[in-house]
Amino acid sequence: MNIAQSIREFFLRNGMVLGLYLVIAVTFWILILIVLPQLYMLDFSFSKNLPPAKIGGPEDVHTLEHYEFFIRGSAQNTAAFNVVDLQVFFRTLLAAAFVTIFDLALCYPIAYYMAHVAQGGWARLVVLSLIIPFWVNEILRAFAFRIMFGSGGVINGFLIWLGIVDEPVDFIRENVALYAGLGYAFILLMIFPLYNAVESLDKNQIEAARDLGSPWWRIHWRVVIPFAKPGITSGCTMVFMLSAGALAAPQILGGPSSLWFTQIIYQWFQTGNNWPRGSAYAVVLLASTIVFVLLMMKIFKVRLGEIAR
Amino acid sequence: MRSDTILKISVAVFVGAFFLYLFGPLIIMSVTAFNSSAFPRVSPFECFSVEWFNVLVNDDKLMLGLRNSLFIGLGVVLISVPIGLAGALMLMQISPRVRSWYYTIVISPILIPGVVLGISTLVFWDRLGLMFNADYDSFFYNGIFLTILGQATFISAYSMLVFISRLQRFDSALEEAALDLGATHVQTFRKVLLPFLRPAIGSAAVLAFLASFENYNTTVFTIVSESTLTTVLASKVRYGINPSISALAVIIVVMTLFGAGVYEIMRRREEAQRAASTLIAKAGDAAAVLGRKRRPVYAEPAMIILTLVFVAGLGTTFFAGTVGVDQCKVAVKEEKRRLAEERIKERKLKSMFKQAAPGKETGSKSGGGTGKVEAKGTEGYKSIFAPQNLEGQVESDEKPAEDKGKVDAKGTEGYKGIFAPQNLEGQVDSETKATEEKDKIDAKGTEGYKSIFDPKNLESQSGTNGSN
Repeated sequence: MNIAQSIREFFLRNGMVLGLYLVIAVTFWILILIVLPQLYMLDFSFSKNLPPAKIGGPEDVHTLEHYEFFIRGSAQNTAAFNVVDLQVFFRTLLAAAFVTIFDLALCYPIAYYMAHVAQGGWARLVVLSLIIPFWVNEILRAFAFRIMFGSGGVINGFLIWLGIVDEPVDFIRENVALYAGLGYAFILLMIFPLYNAVESLDKNQIEAARDLGSPWWRIHWRVVIPFAKPGITSGCTMVFMLSAGALAAPQILGGPSSLWFTQIIYQWFQTGNNWPRGSAYAVVLLASTIVFVLLMMKIFKVRLGEIAR
Repeated sequence: MRSDTILKISVAVFVGAFFLYLFGPLIIMSVTAFNSSAFPRVSPFECFSVEWFNVLVNDDKLMLGLRNSLFIGLGVVLISVPIGLAGALMLMQISPRVRSWYYTIVISPILIPGVVLGISTLVFWDRLGLMFNADYDSFFYNGIFLTILGQATFISAYSMLVFISRLQRFDSALEEAALDLGATHVQTFRKVLLPFLRPAIGSAAVLAFLASFENYNTTVFTIVSESTLTTVLASKVRYGINPSISALAVIIVVMTLFGAGVYEIMRRREEAQRAASTLIAKAGDAAAVLGRKRRPVYAEPAMIILTLVFVAGLGTTFFAGTVGVDQCKVAVKEEKRRLAEERIKERKLKSMFKQAAPGKETGSKSGGGTGKVEAKGTEGYKSIFAPQNLEGQVESDEKPAEDKGKVDAKGTEGYKGIFAPQNLEGQVDSETKATEEKDKIDAKGTEGYKSIFDPKNLESQSGTNGSN
């Protein structure tokens, strides 16, 4: 099967006008919007930070300095590693993993409840009410958490009223507000893949397990969870990627002493004025998240097509 | 049986807690929008007011951002819906060998962090602009143009997914039939495929617009020197907050609720129609279907009720929020004043008691004031003999009490009894004790009082007060 023939077939099947529309639209999308910018960003991350006049000149050579900076730190740095940035990087990944696990633990029972316990109009209402918080702007959601967790906020008021604490707890500094806000932001992205997976499970399987004397937790462990694995993987992947790449919530809810990795990237662009270095950091973020996704797919044996559903 | 009920109860509790987590923040935020307090909070709830909506509407920056966001949203819809449709149609035709590669590439923008998409778009077009020697006014550096492209990158993938799920139910025999009957490809596309896809086009457009409207991560990089609603909001929230942002959230929540209601009604209607048509098809009586006119969505009874409730709620809220707000505010101010005065009276009473009691207690009180009682706390007493000053203190007392009520108020407590000569000794005594205890109340504070009866000193001190 050669290419020329298949192209001719393609135009025969779609006609000239439609064929051109398809080809142009898809090419524009893949090349101009997706692939070339990514490749150029990769290339750009290897270039020096030069003023526009010098770009293309003799000084414009490829260099590894930005990646070196990420690992080693500046030339004046005496430590072996760029402790600050690396720490932020790993803490971000760890915190994102934590948020993912939190969301999974929260959403799995709800997804199961929606799919197999709730019935009729009530189930429908539950689904609808899940969507509503999702359409409220990311920044407004973070703002709501800031109001709630502030020193004069509702949570502190409640805790003081209960007598658990005497002084307001600084939830913002302790990053509690940040984790709660991030977990909140991605509930929907966890719950719907889970729901889709759990819902297609045949109820007879659950009943069979129950009839054979299996307690409820073993039914989940041996029947429901193995069945819902693609959904679990896809939900976890989405939540992990999005929380590792979140910017608004850490900016608004993050404690003053802890940064998110995206905030460092943001700083290189906005205040540091070193775009190549920012690009290099962005490449690091992209590469690490891709590695994570591939790892997840390998471990749980799911394909990409099943993830992005 | 017993464990079963326990399980049921715990499930109910879990679901309840989940929805509390889901809606609690939104409800609290919405409540703060109607509180006249300048800081967004629920308690103390001062006055029910809609003034923050006025503040919101009169915020020029926010309104400019909103206009830009609407424009960008429209641009994104116009770009990403056709691209998504093309992407989905392409996926249906492409040979299986290439398909998985193709799918991986076009779906990847969903998984790539938004920050990375924004950065890559920004540096790519920056470079292109440089290559073409473009002006800084040209579109290569235009934030709105870049934002539309950057957002369209991943929003196209969203709309593609919408189209794919619809296309899976498409019967391609229809298309073949049209072609066999002599229709051109374009005609077939317009008369067969597009009508079939119409609901999908609608939902893809809505999804694209909403996704664009609320996007921040990509936008913040590509927007350059322009602004959108989200970037304005983010900078507002980061540098000081006021309830007008809550007011915006209320508007969005209400609009979402309304949209969800409309969506639900439309879905029910469609379902009912489908059920009716299958029923009629079974009965073989098509006349009834033809005879019944299709009511437009807005004429649906449920829809009318929803709209009425919506408008009525809006009306009463605004009526209640504008009428009597000023009165209420005055009342709240009065109330605060009264409370402050009461507090002072109480303190006076207390100090009367303390006169009789040994000064020990007073000292421990003032010392207990978190050890921060320093110059600030004592400031007030220097001219405590001047009667007109006492009033001023009442005034100033109001503020710290409102703020945190922490140090200052406490600090003054001990000194009210300072008029009584016999108390003075006790106080000096206690003051030194407190110094020992807390060591933060430095000598400065106590120094002033030792010679407090010295007339010379009195004059100079009231002088300093005057300059205050």
